[in-house]
Formats: sequence, C-alpha cells, structure tokens
Amino acid sequence: MKKIIWSLATVTAIIAAASCEKETVVEIEKEVIVVDTVTTETEVETSITVSEDIVTDVTWTADKIVTLDGRVFVSEGATLTIEPGTIIKANAGSGVNASVLIVTRGSKIEAIGTATAPIIFTSAADNIEIGETAGTNLDQNDRGLWGGLIVLGNAPASFDGDAESAQIEGVPTDTDGDKGLYGGSDSADDSGILQYISIRHGGALIGEGNEINGLTLGAVGTGTTVDNIEVVGNVDDGVEFFGGSVNATNLFVWAQGDDGLDIDQAYSGTIDNAVVVQGGISDHALEIDGPEGSLQGGFTLTNATLIGLVDNVENGEIADYRSNAQGTSNNILVTNFTGVGTDLQLSDVELDNEGVAANYTAGSLVFTNWEIVLPTGVTASSEVFNDTTDSTTFEADAATFSSAVTEGTVGADTSAFSWTYANTKASLGF
Amino acid sequence: MKLKLLFILLITFSSQAIFAQEGIISGTVNDGEFNDVLPFANILIKGTTKGTTSDFDGKYVLDVEPGTYTVTFSYLGYETKEVAEVVVAPGAEQIIDITLNPLANALDEVVVTTTVSKNTEASVLNLQKNSVALLDGLSIQSIKKSGASDIASAIKSVPGVSVQGGKFVYVRGLGDRYTKSILNGVDVPGLDPDRNTLQLDIFPTNILDNIIVIKSATADQPADFTGGVVDIVTKDFPSRAEYSFSAGLGYNSSMHFKNNYLSYDGSPTDALGFDNGQRDLAIPQNIETPLPVVDGNRSAALTRLLEPNLKALEDQSGADFNIGFTAGNQYNLNEDGTKKIGYLASLTYKNSTEFYEDVVSGQVFRKEDQDKSVLELTDDRTQSGNTGVNNVLISGLAGISFKSLQSKYKLNVLHIQNGESGASYIRQDNFNVNSNTIFKDVLTYTQRSITNILLNGEHTNEDASWKISWKVSPTFSKIYDKDLRTTPFRFEPETGNFTISPSESGDPSRIWRDLEEYNVASKLDLTRKHQLFGRDAKLKFGGAYTIKERDFVVNQFSTPIQSQAGNFSLNFEGNADLILAPENIYNPETREGTYVRRDSNISDSFNSQITVGAGYVGDEFKLSDRFNAIVGVRFEKFDLRYSGENQDGEVFDNQSILDKADFFPSANFIYDLNEEANKKLRASFSSTTARPSFKEASNAQIFDPVSSTFFIGNIDIQPTYVNNYDIRFEAYGEGTNFFAVSGFAKTFDDPIELTFIREARGQFIPLNLGDAKVFGAELEYRRNMDFIPGWENFNFNANISVIESQQTYSEDEEAARIDNLRTGETLDEFRQLQGQSPFLLNVGFSYDNNDNGWQGGLVYNVQGKTLEIVGNGDIPDVYTLPFNNLKFNLSKEFGKDNSSKISLKFENILNDDIESVYQSFGAEDQVYSSRYPGQAISLGYSYQF
Repeated sequence: MKKIIWSLATVTAIIAAASCEKETVVEIEKEVIVVDTVTTETEVETSITVSEDIVTDVTWTADKIVTLDGRVFVSEGATLTIEPGTIIKANAGSGVNASVLIVTRGSKIEAIGTATAPIIFTSAADNIEIGETAGTNLDQNDRGLWGGLIVLGNAPASFDGDAESAQIEGVPTDTDGDKGLYGGSDSADDSGILQYISIRHGGALIGEGNEINGLTLGAVGTGTTVDNIEVVGNVDDGVEFFGGSVNATNLFVWAQGDDGLDIDQAYSGTIDNAVVVQGGISDHALEIDGPEGSLQGGFTLTNATLIGLVDNVENGEIADYRSNAQGTSNNILVTNFTGVGTDLQLSDVELDNEGVAANYTAGSLVFTNWEIVLPTGVTASSEVFNDTTDSTTFEADAATFSSAVTEGTVGADTSAFSWTYANTKASLGF
Repeated sequence: MKLKLLFILLITFSSQAIFAQEGIISGTVNDGEFNDVLPFANILIKGTTKGTTSDFDGKYVLDVEPGTYTVTFSYLGYETKEVAEVVVAPGAEQIIDITLNPLANALDEVVVTTTVSKNTEASVLNLQKNSVALLDGLSIQSIKKSGASDIASAIKSVPGVSVQGGKFVYVRGLGDRYTKSILNGVDVPGLDPDRNTLQLDIFPTNILDNIIVIKSATADQPADFTGGVVDIVTKDFPSRAEYSFSAGLGYNSSMHFKNNYLSYDGSPTDALGFDNGQRDLAIPQNIETPLPVVDGNRSAALTRLLEPNLKALEDQSGADFNIGFTAGNQYNLNEDGTKKIGYLASLTYKNSTEFYEDVVSGQVFRKEDQDKSVLELTDDRTQSGNTGVNNVLISGLAGISFKSLQSKYKLNVLHIQNGESGASYIRQDNFNVNSNTIFKDVLTYTQRSITNILLNGEHTNEDASWKISWKVSPTFSKIYDKDLRTTPFRFEPETGNFTISPSESGDPSRIWRDLEEYNVASKLDLTRKHQLFGRDAKLKFGGAYTIKERDFVVNQFSTPIQSQAGNFSLNFEGNADLILAPENIYNPETREGTYVRRDSNISDSFNSQITVGAGYVGDEFKLSDRFNAIVGVRFEKFDLRYSGENQDGEVFDNQSILDKADFFPSANFIYDLNEEANKKLRASFSSTTARPSFKEASNAQIFDPVSSTFFIGNIDIQPTYVNNYDIRFEAYGEGTNFFAVSGFAKTFDDPIELTFIREARGQFIPLNLGDAKVFGAELEYRRNMDFIPGWENFNFNANISVIESQQTYSEDEEAARIDNLRTGETLDEFRQLQGQSPFLLNVGFSYDNNDNGWQGGLVYNVQGKTLEIVGNGDIPDVYTLPFNNLKFNLSKEFGKDNSSKISLKFENILNDDIESVYQSFGAEDQVYSSRYPGQAISLGYSYQF
C-alpha cells in the first residue's frame, strides 16, 4: 500500500531533492566536455581514408595506411586490389557506424600478401606504422575495436525457409538494391584471392547480437582462393563459413570471443591445415552447424590443431556439432583443454541434439583420426566425446577414432603459421 | 490521513450544494429533417408562461421550482412534442433531449406525447436514425449507463467496434490503419507514435458530450479513413453550476499486493506521470565515447554518468486507484440570457499497476526444413518471465465558451501526462541459430504528454439559414523513451556461470528515443439552407488545412565488458546491478571493466512533415418526402516531406516523398420504407484513402531492441485507395427497440502492410501489397424486455459482425509459402488481411431503474481469430486467439437528488487469457505470446453537486 497515494507536501520535497541530483550530473557533463577539447586527433599524412563504396577498380598500396571509415561495400563489377604489406586501420564504431569491408556478390577482392609482408586489417587505435607487422599498444584481449572483413558470393547455401539467398546478419536491407545478399547457384563463383592476411581486434556489433566475425565467408565459391589467414582478438567467431564451397588452407585463430572456426548453412568446401588457440573468454574452438533448408551439403575439415587454455574455469569447449551438421572431421589434434576437478568442467566434443545425432548414425557426420592430449583427471581419449542425446554409438566409437597422446602426430603443420603476429606475440614457437 | 482529507473535502462540497434550491430542465433540441440541432425552437412549461428558446446550438435551460411538469417543444412547420412526468427535484437537473420532425403539411398540427424516461434513451438513437450518413452515436447518458469510466470501455457497445488492449478502437475489425480517431472534429496525434488512432482510455467520461462513430464517408469528413472515424466531442459547459468528485479503487487478485512484483527505483516524480530528469540522456549527443584503449580515464568517466541500477527488483505491488474532479458553470451576461459565458474544467488522476507472471512473449517455432512431411513445429526460441508495469495518467481539461444569440466561441485546453514504468526479468532459451540460455533484466520508462488547444467559433445569421464554423487547433505531443535498460546474461547450466556474452546475447544496452510532434489543424465549414427540387436542402462546403511535423531522435549505448586473462563478467554473478558498480567500471590500470560505447544509428533518426489541404462541397437534399441524399466530393492535397539519412549514407533533406492530389466522391442515400419513417433503407458509396505513417514513408532503419528486429522504412511507398460500399436496413421500434442489418464491401488498391523480407529474417518493411477485398455483414438488435411483465427495466442488446477479407500475396510471400508447404498442404489463393478479425460479437443485458437508482449490466464480447503476424518461410503465421470477455457491473445512485453513486465492476469473469499462437498445416498450435490479465474487481464512488 505504501506507493498508493502521494501527498502534495512529499511531492514538493521530492522535486526539490531531484533538482539537486540533476546539478551534479550537469557538472560531470561539463567536466567531460572540457576533457573533450584535449583529445584532438592528428592527421597522419601518409594515409587515405575510405568511407564511400568502391564502385570502380581500386588499388590500395602499402605506402599509405588505409583508414576504413564506416561500412564500405565493394560494389558489383568492381575489383579491390590490396598490395602486400598494406595496413588497413579501421575506425571505431558499432552498428551502422561499424567499419566493415564488404565484398559483395559479383565484385572481387585481390588481396595477396606475403609471409614477410602480410596485409593487416586492424584498429585505428593500433600504433602499428607503415613497414611494421605489429604495433605495441594492443593485445589479443582488445576486441571489438572495429568491424571485420566480409566476402559474399553466389555459391549455394542452405537457408531456413529455402530462400536462394539471404541478407548477411546485421546489414539492413537496402530498398534500392541487394548489396547485403549472399547465396546463389554458382558453386564455382570467384570472389578473388585472400592470401597472407592478418585481421586483428575486430568484431564490433553490427546489429543486435550480431557481432562481426573476423573473416565472414558467405556463399563464397570454389573459384575463390583463401589461404594463410590469421584472426586475433575478435569478439565473435574467427572465421565463419555461411554455406558456399570455397576451399581454405592455413587458417589461424587466436583468442576469439566466441568460436574459432564456425560452419553453417551447408558449407561444402574443404578446410585444410587450421589452428585455433583459445583465449580467456573463447567459447568453442569449432562450432559446426548443418544445412538450414532442404539443400544438403557437408564440409571437410582436415589437419587441425585445437589448443585450449589449461584448466580454464570459464569452460571453453573443444567442439560443438549442432542442428543438422554433416561432414568429415579428420586428423584433429586437441591439446591443453580443461579437465575434471574442483570448479572445472570438462571441455568436450559434443553432439548437441537429435538432428546431429541422427546424422552421425546415418554416416553423414564422420570423425576419423582424433588425438587428444589428455586433460587433468581424464584417463581415456573417449571421455571428451559426448553425445548429449545418448542415442548413438558416438561415445563408444570414440575409443576407436580417437587416441590419447602426449605429443600429437596428426593436426596442423604449424610451420605454415610462423609468419603470424600471434606466433611472435604469444611465443607459440611455430 | 488521506481519508480524512477526502472526508473534509466531501463535507465542504456537500455544504455548498445545499444552497441550490431551484431545479432546472435542460437539453438539446434536434432537427429530425437533417441530422442537426434545431435553433430557436420554443420550449414551454405547459400551463404556465415560463418558457425559453433553444440557442443556435439547439441547447436550452429553464430554471423552475421543484415539482412535476409537462414540457412542450415546438417549432414552426414541425411537430410539437409534449413530455410529461418531468420531475424536478430541488437543486437537480433534468435533461430532456428531443428531436422534432418536420410536418409534411404545414397546416397539420401533430402533438406527440411521451415521458421523460422513454425520451432519454430514444434521443440517443435519434442522431443515428436521422443521419443520412451511416453513423452510430454514443451519448454521455448511454456511456454512464454502461458503467464505463472511460470511452474505450463504453464504445464497445457500438456495432462493429472492437477495442484492442483497452486502448485502441477498431471499426469493423479493420486494422488501425483504417480507423481514425479525432478530437472535437480535428486530428490529434496519439500517444503511440506508430498508430493512426488516438488512445481512448485517456479521456474520462465526465468531460465528454458524446462520441460519434462514422462508418460511411461524407465530403466534410477527412478522406483518410476506411473503417470509420471516431469523433470524441468534449462538453462546452454544463447548464448550471456543476461540480463532481469521483474516486475509484481496483483490485486484481493476480496482479495486486504481490510480493514478487517487479519494479525499479525510478525518479521520485514518477507518481506524477513524469521523470524529474534522473533518466535524462546521460551522455549528451555531441560527446563521443572513446575506446578504453584510446582514453581509459575518459571512457571510465563517461561510463560513470550512466544510472547504475539495471536490475528488476522484487517489491510489493499496489492496487489501481483513480481520482477525478470536474467543475463547470455558466453565467448570463445580460438579462434575457442571450449572452452566456461558461466554463468546464476537469482533472483526473489514474494510477494502475499490472503484473504478469510467467508471461510468454516472442517465442519462435519453425516448420521442419529438411523433411516437409513433418507437420509438427519445432521450437527455436522460448521466452517467458515476469513483468511489472506501473502506469500513471493525469489529464486536465479547461474550456471556456461564450455564446450569444448568433455566435459561439470556445477555447479548450487539454493536457495529458502519462508515465509508464516497467520492469521485467525474462528467461530466453535458444535452440537453433544460437544454442543458449539467457536471463534478461529489462527496465523501461516511457513519458508521454499531449497538449491540445482548440479555438472554435460558430456563427449563424438571424434565420439560421447560414452557419459558419471554424476551428484552429494546435497540438504538441512528446513521447520520450527514457533510458531503456536491457541486461542479458548468458547462463551456463553446466557450470552455473552467468556471463555477458556479446556474440550470444548482446551487450547490456541503453536507449533514449525522443519523439516530438507538433500539429496544427484548421477547418472552416459553411452550411447554407436552401431549396432544391422544391424541398429543403442543405449545402455544406468548406476547407481544411493540417500541418504535422515530427522529429525522431535515437541515442543508443552499450556497456561492453573489457576482460584481460579471465572473463571479467563472471564477477557480476548474474546480478545486473553490479555491472556499473563503481568497482566494476573500466580501470585504466588493470584495463578491465565495464565501459560505455555509443551505438546510435543515424538511420534511426528523422524529421518529417505532412501537410493536407482540403476543400469540399456536398449537398443534403430530398428527392421525395421519403428519399434523402447527401452527395459530395472532397479534394485533398497531401504532401509528405522527409529529412533523414540511411545506413548507406543516402541523405534526404526536406525532400518531397509523397505529393498527391485526389478527389474523393461520396454519396449517401436513405429511404423511408413507411410513413412513420421507422423503417429505413440506406445505401452509400465513398472513396477514401489510407496513407503511410511518418515512419513508413521514410528511409529510416530502426532497430527495436525489445524484439531484436529492424524496421526498414520504404521511401517509395504509396497511399492505399479504398472504395467503400454499404447497404443497411433499419427498423426502429418503440423506445429504444431497434433492429438493423447491413452489408458492406471494400476494395483496396495497393493496401499497405508491414511485411517481412524473405532474405533478411527479423527485418520488416511496409509494402504496397496486391489488391485486397473485404466483405461483411452486421446485425444489430436492441430490445426492451417489457414483453415480460415486470421486466420493463431490462434491456437486451446484441450486435455481430462477420467479415471476410481476401489479401493477395506479395511475390516474396507467395514464393516463401510455396517453398514451405507441408506434404499434402495447398496454398489458398488469398489470406486474411493482417489485423482483420473474421467476426466480432457483443451481447449485453442491462438493468436500469431510474426510480430506485439501480443500474446493472452483464456484457460479453469476443473477436474472432485474427492474423497478427504474417509468417516468413519456415516460420508459420501467428494468430491472436479470441479473448472471451464477460463483464458485470452494478451501480446504485443514492443520497439527496441521487447525487452519489457507487459502482462495482467485475472483469474477465470467464477467467480467459490473452494468447497468440503459431498455426501450421496439421500441426499442434504453439504459443507465440500469452499473458493472463487476471480477474479484476473495481469499486468506484462519485458525487455530483
């Protein structure tokens, strides 16, 4: 009953009290405004700023830092060429203000770096300079400082409700065109070349619950070349494949906020030689979903090394196979994950639901040659394999397709990653 | 203490009332020939010389000694009516509204005799009976009779009318795009910016003169309505000094005095319907939020500006209560009473509390994508929790009117202040796109205010053959969503950990939305009585000009958590209030903690302007003694200009978006089937339009954090044009007995509907869809139960509308439907129009005894299953299920002159809940949303003196 009736006297008193609080806030605001005048940015002479869509062929050269400001589309028909050693610094912002480079359907990116002169996408806050491969003021825990790199293609993808194409998450539909769409019927589609590229500190929110992945590949076709890619400190996933058929080799992900490699919508290409190194807030090293619509397709993942944080109380997981996942996971080495003990929850390889369990039984989801460096308190490799539905022989079969090792004999050829920023920064010894 | 004060007030008022000794007889004289008032009619107390004439508004007042009288009403060329048994008590007012019909032969003398009680109810029907246009009137007397305390509940007794959420009126089950509500004949922006209709529960009944629902267009009405116009007309001034006080209490067993009610510490002035500034925009618009790695100290300082309370707290809920005062009087300015000035003022305060436990909202169910022979739906997202809402509404009206013999001026000022504070704690489980469990604290506050000024003048010449009416009405309305706070925690069942996990559930967010709209409506109407085909006719012509401008600004922030080695958000342990606790705000030393980030989207904000210029001419005339017609045409020039920017940086600067000039013809006919004119046949045709809203005809891309959906404006959208056809048979019996059956059809060119985008889940856009048709039939029946001896005070009232709607699919929609048909399912050629109910039913029994002051009513209403959300691909259609609402009310007038009244109401007697479900071929229904409104009992007291 206490809140039922107000007398006029209390109301007056309250208004008086409230106006005092208001003043305090105003003072703080003033203080902030004063601070505002102190931080003025100085122009870097050797830089260009890109904020408009790329509608004709353009080349970004290594002698200038490219500042990416806001959402930039490479429009249909245009090719963006990026020279080796080029540093792209993206401005901060989220939502529509997030700096994102989107290579749309029918356009191309020719970004060919080298092991000594990789192409670097990083935050404007990074103090890296022309000619360097790393700055000094940021680390793998600085995430979400800009958006990410998105490549959209015309290859098939399997969508909910069986649409042929879909709008990439977080980009509102444009009533004038279809710039955000991906998916089509050309599995050999060519979106260009991505080689020796390092993507750092990205993953800003682009729409609610839609943080950008480091590298998003939406329905990218086999005509596209994707190899030697590094993603460090991204809020969302490292590399996510939404359908498509592109083959990718030498992928490296470190300290992502969500999943390392993520597969969805019937991605049907091959990922060969990949490493995921988990960070403090990482979720799954692998998160694998299947087709959403009736179009079917399975992935191939081969020669991967998944490195956890030993006994991480926050429970980073090894792998989650979900919904309708189908494909083959072969030659996988799992090491340094969390084991069993006080406050510890065993990191596992999981069949998440009945759909994926049925695929396992039907033979459309295949596991071969897994090696596990046993975590604390675990005595057999099969213990890390978990069928949450308990409807398959997955856990029993794990005794055959996996083995416990102290040093791996399968997994990635880590020498391919000696060029990476992470290798130096985290002293990985690759 | 409160009670004591109340008691003192009562005593004071009561003692004042004792002084009034004379009673009065007052009312309105109406012209049965035209649906209009009858000026300069004679009113005489039979057997005396005491009398008066009606003023040019048809209004009259007679001061008389207490007693019982017969009152005679007469006018040259019209029948004379005698009303007997008029009892006037000391200090009391007896209202007699009367309709005089013209005589076919001016030499005849016809005297109709009736009694007060029979006349009162009948006069309500008169307006309807005599109108050539199809309309339903609801007089203040009948509103009071229905026991309703606000218009929204009163208006349900009008056939074909339904009320959504107790607030929004729909005519003939058409969505609110096709219903228009106006105040005193002019456009007023509503409290809900995204609706075309005015919220009706904000008007207390004691400031109303009447409500008119017009279902067929005439040239003098605005062209942008289709289902109907609801015109809310406020009183000029009472016929004598009149003061009233009312108070009410409402108790709902499932909502009130609950210890787990959710709320949060708002501002101390919340109880007065506004925020004292505590929830004002924390970080001014011109201030950037730097990344903490760039400037940690500044980032932390800005973060500290945010109000830190984010948690929905458990607290005991209060009950509903309301209190109201009205005062009014009129004064003669000269001896013969031909110049009068009067005022009316009212103040109402309402405080209501709603608490929904286990309310389900926004659940997602899908059709199986892999195997089309699977019919059952699978769950993708479940969401439920508890929600507490406190709503404070204050409305004040002050009006002053001046009347002379041939002129009337009226100045009305209306202010409505509303504050709504909500707190929810919701659990969300996702199974498909994400697979996780999320707990969300959601705190909301919306402050609305409307200030409307109406300046109105009416003038007539000596023989009332000319009448001019003009209106100028500015309105300022402001709607502020102040500091909406959403804090989503991801919950790991395996470890029991709560974390802030942006990629799974988003960062904690803060939103401020400011909508400001100003609106000036002006109108000039002229009426000229003349002769056509040798009979009386009335020519109406005039013009109107309305300008509306809206500013919409959004400020949006997130508060992400910066972690280093570990996950910093584990420190909060799921307690939202710890997120902005001083120790958890970003620390530049450790480089960990919560920091603020501006997320505003330029594409959320816009400025739009609408102007409508109109001119019309129409003539009401008789083709024969029995055949009346109104034929007219209206011209409207509509312009919409827009300033805004979309996400692609496309900028519009005061650019013309819509520029339409159209003619809207209308014709209404009424034919008396018999001499007594109590059986009538009506037919009408009109062409009308439905225009897109500000938001729809924009380039805006507005994100709604509550539903996680994008609204995409459509800059290319076009208005809908509608052709309306109506036919109706009416039979008026004795007293209020009435029977009517009508049929109607409407054809829509390019109807606008909010529709999905197949490729972009969660994004909605208004589109002009393929053509649509609506057909319907209505039946209305009112019967006094006097055919059963002793049941004279009982009335039965029923109306039913059956409506068939046919909407053709858009290209995208048709393709998505075909691709997702289940095995054995075929696609119909049409679907229901969104928001169109297939049937509406109102049935009521009422008891009304003037002698002992008892009134009561049992009312049932229900609305058919309505398409609420059009499905998208593998997500099926959502239908609102019928809510079976049975209500009972009872009231008793007592005390001196029956000046006190106690009323009691029971709502939702059938204990139904409000539910929307997914429906798919061969599948079991799955819940989209559901809430239980509980069963409410309310007690009201009013005192008039």
